[in-house]
Parts: sequence; structure tokens; C-alpha cells
Amino acid sequence: MSHHRETGHEEEQHPLTTAMFHVLLTLANEEMHGYAILKEVEKRTAGKVRLSAGTLYGIIKRLNGEGWIVESRKRPVAGLDDERRRYYGLTELGRRVAVAEARRLEELLETARSKKLFAKPEPA
Amino acid sequence: MNPATLLRSQRIFRALLRVLPFDFQTNYGHEMEGVFHEQEREIRERGGPMDFLKLWGETIAGIFRTAPSEHWEILKQDLAYGLRMMRKNVGFTVIGVLTLGLGIGANTAIFSVVHAVLLRPLPYPEGDRLVFIRQQAQKLGISDIAFSVHEIEDYRGQNQSLSGLVEYHTMSFILYGHGDPDRIRTAVVSANYFDLFKVQPLLGRAFLAEDDKLGAPAVLILSYEYWKNKFGADPGIVGKTFELNDRVHTVVGVLPPVPQYPVESDVYMPTSACPFRSGKAFIDNRDARLMRAFGRLKPGVTLSQARADLATIAGRLKSEYPKSYPDNMGYAAVSSPLQEELTHGARPTLLVLLAAAVFVLLIACANVANLTLARMSRRERELAVRTALGAGRSRLLRQLLTESFLMALVGGALGLVLAYSSLELLTEFAARLTPRAREINIDASVLGFTLLAALGTSIIFGTISAVFTRANLSSSLKEGSTGAGAGQSKNRVRSALIVSQVAFSFMLLIGAGLMLRSLIKMLRVDAGFVPQRVLAMRTTISFSKYAKQEQLVEVIKKILDRVQAEPGVISAAMSSSYPLDSETISVGPNSGSFKIQGRELAPGEAPPVGSYSLISPAYFRTLGIPLKEGREFTEADGGKGRIVAMINEAMKRRFWPNEDPIGRSISYDDGATWATIVGIAGDVREFGLDRPALPEIYIPHAQIAAPSTLSARTIADPRTMGEAIVRAVHEVDAQIAVTHVVTLEQARAESTTSPRVTASLLGIFGGLALVIAAAGIGGIMALAVSQRVREIGIRIALGAQPSKILGMILGQGLLLAALGVGIGLAGALAVTGLVKSLLFDVTPTDPVTFLGVALALVAAAILASYLPARRAAAIDPIEALRTE
Repeated sequence: MSHHRETGHEEEQHPLTTAMFHVLLTLANEEMHGYAILKEVEKRTAGKVRLSAGTLYGIIKRLNGEGWIVESRKRPVAGLDDERRRYYGLTELGRRVAVAEARRLEELLETARSKKLFAKPEPA
Repeated sequence: MNPATLLRSQRIFRALLRVLPFDFQTNYGHEMEGVFHEQEREIRERGGPMDFLKLWGETIAGIFRTAPSEHWEILKQDLAYGLRMMRKNVGFTVIGVLTLGLGIGANTAIFSVVHAVLLRPLPYPEGDRLVFIRQQAQKLGISDIAFSVHEIEDYRGQNQSLSGLVEYHTMSFILYGHGDPDRIRTAVVSANYFDLFKVQPLLGRAFLAEDDKLGAPAVLILSYEYWKNKFGADPGIVGKTFELNDRVHTVVGVLPPVPQYPVESDVYMPTSACPFRSGKAFIDNRDARLMRAFGRLKPGVTLSQARADLATIAGRLKSEYPKSYPDNMGYAAVSSPLQEELTHGARPTLLVLLAAAVFVLLIACANVANLTLARMSRRERELAVRTALGAGRSRLLRQLLTESFLMALVGGALGLVLAYSSLELLTEFAARLTPRAREINIDASVLGFTLLAALGTSIIFGTISAVFTRANLSSSLKEGSTGAGAGQSKNRVRSALIVSQVAFSFMLLIGAGLMLRSLIKMLRVDAGFVPQRVLAMRTTISFSKYAKQEQLVEVIKKILDRVQAEPGVISAAMSSSYPLDSETISVGPNSGSFKIQGRELAPGEAPPVGSYSLISPAYFRTLGIPLKEGREFTEADGGKGRIVAMINEAMKRRFWPNEDPIGRSISYDDGATWATIVGIAGDVREFGLDRPALPEIYIPHAQIAAPSTLSARTIADPRTMGEAIVRAVHEVDAQIAVTHVVTLEQARAESTTSPRVTASLLGIFGGLALVIAAAGIGGIMALAVSQRVREIGIRIALGAQPSKILGMILGQGLLLAALGVGIGLAGALAVTGLVKSLLFDVTPTDPVTFLGVALALVAAAILASYLPARRAAAIDPIEALRTE
């Protein structure tokens, strides 16, 4: 019996869903708690991507499991904070995954442009 | 939003969270609640009722979208982990899978029979509306009297409760032109017979009203089995012709596979095809009874309404024809659901076997739970570490249950294979109990049952092992691997499991023992004849060719002379049946009332009843039935000679207890002719070794009609004589169909197949249980010894004799067995009533069986504890203290 081992970067083995990518992007510059992530994604996409408690934490669990995000130990000043809240931040690996995904999308976009996909169709 | 609404929405949200895996809830539940709470607050501040609805919708959808994948993740992990554990512990896995496989297999096999026979509706559309109708002479104890043509017509015409009533009787025709003349078991039925059953022919058509008219072209419909077995399921069979007796019949249809009741037939014909049934004298005679009747309840009519309806008609007939239905016979007409008719013979046996199979599965569960517990004590540290690392308890429970289910599933697959391979044997067995046997198969419901059995099993043994592992987890890290406190409580659980195994084994073995005892008694019964070296065969003589009684008597004499002249034949005889013939048993005795000359019945007194047999002169000599008094028939008896009869001892005891019946006269045609009793024969168990002889009247064959079996006593092994005897018969008339050649020993053995198979199955189940229980006792004693090495070492060091140690361990094993036997005894006494109807000459509380089984279990326990006990006695105290 021969063992076949997949080679390649971790980034390539886990395709990101749009929602997951949005969560990664949201955490790119600052650590946030769940509700803030949810609001931010909704605001940035003008309501096109709406997360709910169930889907958000499904994503958080997965990102956490992959080691792309991590629970932050830093907490805001006591009193301003809801105890139930946990804050999440991007890990180095998570940042690389997000960058790789962004590049991939950029390349796709380039291809689309070079094919003149965005050009207005000629009037018939 | 007021606080009450808030609280309620919180509660609903929490309830929703339960859809998610436990660990997910623990990890994120609080946060999710927080998020939801804030979403709600925001809407409260600047939103409308629609936004609330939207929020709830999104939240519910989100949770239900997340939950399945989360559960699936865990299941994948647990399955992978479980498989790894199974591979790592091959011995444990193999024993567990085997035990469960046997348990689940036994249940699947028996359930497939129970399902097909008892649970599934009859394979006729609205089959639950079909009824079997019988006439009875309740005061005479005759529960099944055939119908005459007049009676069929009366019940058909006068009833208000049936949408149809059809008749049925059987005959034997002879088929020519397909090899040797063959006996064709023929059912003669009303033209609308199959319409009543709503059976659509597989090929061709059903009967039409025209087929039933006198003088119509002869047609027939083949049964599915006959078509398949004899004609290789020839698709072009319709339109082909069969030469049966003196007529050519055209095949018009083939039946689908349906159960045939009361007996199996090869072909079906309309009533006009039966020369007896269509004779004018027969049709006109209200007392010429031959047929059976089936009906279908009208829509909305209940069985009890139909019964009342039939009773009304019976009452009317009674007052209209007092001569046919005298007061003293207790005439009645009753109906019972066809479903019940088809299955009542199988029900008690199948239920006993199902109960036994369930016991086996419970024992298997207890055994695997025990094994798992033993293995858990080795895995306890692993589990404790995982708990310490944050795995929730219910997460561990879930994983253990997944492992259990995995094992049960593999066991279930094995069980399915076992059940499947035993199906043919079981079907053959069930065919002796019910015409529905051929419906037995492993279908979706049986597969579902197997899956449920596996699931149930894994829940039972998984929960037992998980719960008791859980209880001890916290202590095991503190205590170290051989922790005494937790170990002891777990040993108690394991002991309890062993005790329950012994108890169930006891009950199973009691069942097996009772069946075995009753079988042995049955086999030892003196059936009243000498079955060794007698060959019997069915000889069907064409009623068309030998239409007159004299012709028939003549040809029978020729046959007997010719067969008797055959070298190696001591004597030969013809008779209407032979003892323990399976066909006779299924049809039942040919009972009728008779008159005794000089004895007047008091008003309302029931006339005497006997069962009739037609025999030729050498019958008793040939079968080895002793003549007790008087003489046998001679060729001068019957026909134009003297009208005589013989009776058996049961008859003498019943009707002439203090007189000599020889020389007395009886009449079985209501005083038209009187037959003088010339001899008394010994009693014969005609209808089963477990059924005592009925009062019997023997009539010389020359006096009434054609006997249909030939028997011959031979010098050498009768099986070597079969061909010669068949040839001898064919020398007299090559058109006689000779079929079903058996030795009487075979017939006798065959008549006990059902109790034998039941006893064997229970024996296998019981034996299995015994082995499992003994292995369990041995296992737990070995474990106890290994846990107590130090203590035993100290005892020995303090001067305890090895024999005393031996006795101590043996005593503990014995204690477990004794407890199990005690509980099993109570259980057995409670349920043996179930097997009562299957027993012969043995009471359900038979002390011999109970004592024997108890001793066997105790002996097995001693044997199983002996090895560990010897190991304990041989412990070297110094070694023992050092290793600790």
C-alpha cells in the first residue's frame, strides 16, 4: 500500500467562503468581538453579507481551528466591557491566508479585465 | 420591549442553541447570546416589527445551517477515533463483533419470519376483509365440517354481510404425457374465486362464469410454484393443453405467488371440472359435504356482524331441515379472519423463538458492556486526561456511544449475513407451520429492524459502559491505575451484568430443556404401529377410468396381488391414509357421527363420533398394528359380501367400556345400512405423536370408495424396494400415478420436524448463552484475582492454605452463578407459560429440567472460575508483595 501525501501550501488546501474572507478582512487591522464583526461586515458590504449569531460562530470556530484567528488576551477597560464578549484577532498565518486570497481574487480580476469583460457590449 | 418578552426571547434562543453540539454550546453559547441580545437591542432602538421577524428568521436559519456540519465534524472525528481503537484492540473487537453479530443475526432471522408471517398484511388487496367460514357440530366436538352444494348456495344467497362467498375443494387428477403419470393436486373452486381474493393472474386470465357451466371446455390455472418448478416458468404456458384423467384441459392462466390455504395445490379448476361435484345426486343431497367456503366482508361490516349474520342463517337452516341438522349435534356456522387461519399454527412457536432471540441479544449486550468496561479500566487514564484537557463529559459519552454504535453496526452487518444464510432453512421450517412461509425475505423493514437492533444494542451497552466509566473518571487520576475504590464499584457493576447474563441464560436453557424433554418423550411414544421396513406411497387411480366401485375393487386386488408377489415384500395393503402422513395431518381427521344399534339417544343427547379410515384386508399386518380382539378383514368383507367394520381400542373404551363390542352393529348412514364389528385393533397415533388416538372406525375399502395409499412391509431396507413396487403397480395399470414414496420411519421423523427445529434453535440459543455467561464468569474472576494479587499474597503469607484460596475464588464464581440462577428461576416461572402450548407430556415447571439446567449452569460457573482460582492459589506471596 502506498501513501499519497498531498504537498502544497496550507492556504491552497482550504478554499475560503466569502463570509469567512469577510471575517478575516474585518479583523485585519484591529481585534474585535463577535457583534462588532457582524456589524462591520454588514456595514462594509452595505448589507449584502449578513451574518447571524449561528453562522458567525460557526466561522469563528473554523478560523480558530485553522489557526487563522486567535482569541485575544487583551481586554478593554473594565466597565466598558460586556463580560460575555471575547475579542478575536488575526494570526500571522491568518494574515498570509487573507493576502493569498486577495491575490487570487486580484489575478482573477486581472484576467477578467484582460478579456475586456467590463467593456460595454457593442450596440447591435 | 418589556422584561417578560425579553426573558422569553432569551429562553427561546437558549433552546435553539441546543441544536448545536454540546461543546459548541459551551464554547460559544454565551457569546452568541450576547450577540443576539445586542442585535435585538439595536432593533428595539431603531427598527420595526418586520426587523424582529427578519432577525429571528436569520438567526434560526443560521443555527440550523451551522449545526449539521458541526455534528458531522464530531462524528467524523469519533468514527475515525473509534475505528483506530477497534484496530488497536483486535481481540476485543472480534469478540464484541462476533457476540453482537450472533445476537443481532438471531433476531434478524427470527424477525424476518415473524414479520412475513405474523405482521405483514396478507398479500391480497384488503386481505384483512377475507374470512374462512366453517360449519361445526359443537356438541360433537367437530369444529370443521365441509359444505354441501345446497349449503353453499344457502349461505351465499341469504347472507347480508359478505360481498361474496366462494367454494373450494381438493382432488387428485392424473397428468399424462409428461413422463410417468403424475398426481396433480387440484383445487376445485368457484369461477369468481380469484376475484374474491382480488388476485390478478400473473399470466393469462382468471376463471369466467362461462368456464363453470356444465359442458364448458375444460380449463385450468396453474399455481405459481407448480408453473415454476415443473415448467421452468415457461412464459408461453398459457394456451398449452394438459391431459388430465380422461380430458384435455387448456391452461388459461398462472397465479402469482400467494399463500394457498388450507392446502397447497398444483392447479385450479372451476367446479364443473369435478365429476363428483357436478353429479346431480351430489348436488341434490344436502348432506353430501365436500367443500370449504371463503368470504369477503362487505365494506363497513365487522367480523362480529358477519358472525351474527351466519348464525342467523344457521338457525334458519336448522329449523328448515331438522333431519340434516339435528338438535343434538349443536349445529353452527362460524367465520374467522383468513389471516388468523393462515398464521395461528405458527404464532406460539414464532413468539417463543423471538423471545429467545431477544434474550440472546440482551445477553450479548451485557457481555459486550462487560468487555467494554474491562477495556475502559485500561483506557480510564486516557479518558481522564482528555477530561482534564477540557473535553466535556457529554462529549466523552458521545464518543463512547459512537464507538459502541460502530461496533454494533459491524456486528449488525455480520448478523445480516448470518440471517441471510439461515433464511432458506428457516423458510423450510416455517413452511410446516404456515402457508405464508414463502413470503419470508429480508426486505426494507427487516433491514430497518436490524439497524434499530444495532442502534438499541449500542445504546444499551454503550450507556452502561459510559455511565460507569464516567462515574469513575474523576477518581482515576488521583488513584492510579489499580485504584481500589473505583475498581470495586465497577466490579459490582460487572458482577451485576454477569448475574443478569446467567439469569437470561437460565431462562433460555429452561426453554430449550423443556422443548428437548418434550421432544424426547414424543419420540419415545408408542405410536401403535411398527414403522420399520414399511414403504408407503400415494397411488392415484383414475376415477374416470374406474368409475364403478366393482372396477375399483378389482384393480386394487390386482395391484395388491401383484405387489405381494414381488420378492422381498412380506405383505401389502391399501388404505385411505397412513399414520403420520403429513398431508393427512394437515387435512385433519375425517370425523363423522354414527349410530349404535339398540342404543337410543335421549332427546338432545349427542350421537357418537368417530374418525373413518378405509383399509384393505392386510392393513394391520402390513403396518404392524396389533389386533386386540376378533379378526381382520378378509376379501369376503365389503362389496357384495357382509357389511362389517373394525374399531380401535379408544373407540371401545369410549362407547363400550364394559361390554364386548364384537358382534354389535353400527350405522354411519343414519340407519340405512348396519355394519357388524368384527375386530378391535390397537390405537394408532394417526395425526401426530403428540396427539392421542381418536376413536376410529375401519371400513373395508370394497365397501365405500378408493383408498389412495399403498403400503408394503419388506424384508430388507424398504428404500431399495421403491422402484420394484412402483413398477409392479404400473404393470397392473401404467396410468396409475405413484407419488410421494416414503418409508414410515421417514414419515414419523418428518412429523416431528417442527418441535425438533424449535428445540434445536432454542438449544443453539441456550448453548450460546451458556458459553457467553461462562466466559463472563471466568473473565470477571480472572480480573478479580489480578486486582487482589496483593491481598491474596498477604493471606498466603499469613498461612492461608492454597486449597482455601481456591475455594474462596470458586465460591465467588459460584455465588454469581447462584444469584443468576435464582433470578432466572423467578423469571422462568413467570414466562414458561409461553411455551406451554408447544410442550408434550412435560409441564412448564418440569422439576427435572429446572434442576438439570441449574446444575449445568453451576457446573459451568465452577469450570469457568477454576482457572483463575488455581492461579490465585498458586500466587507466590513474596512475588506478589514485591510487584505491588
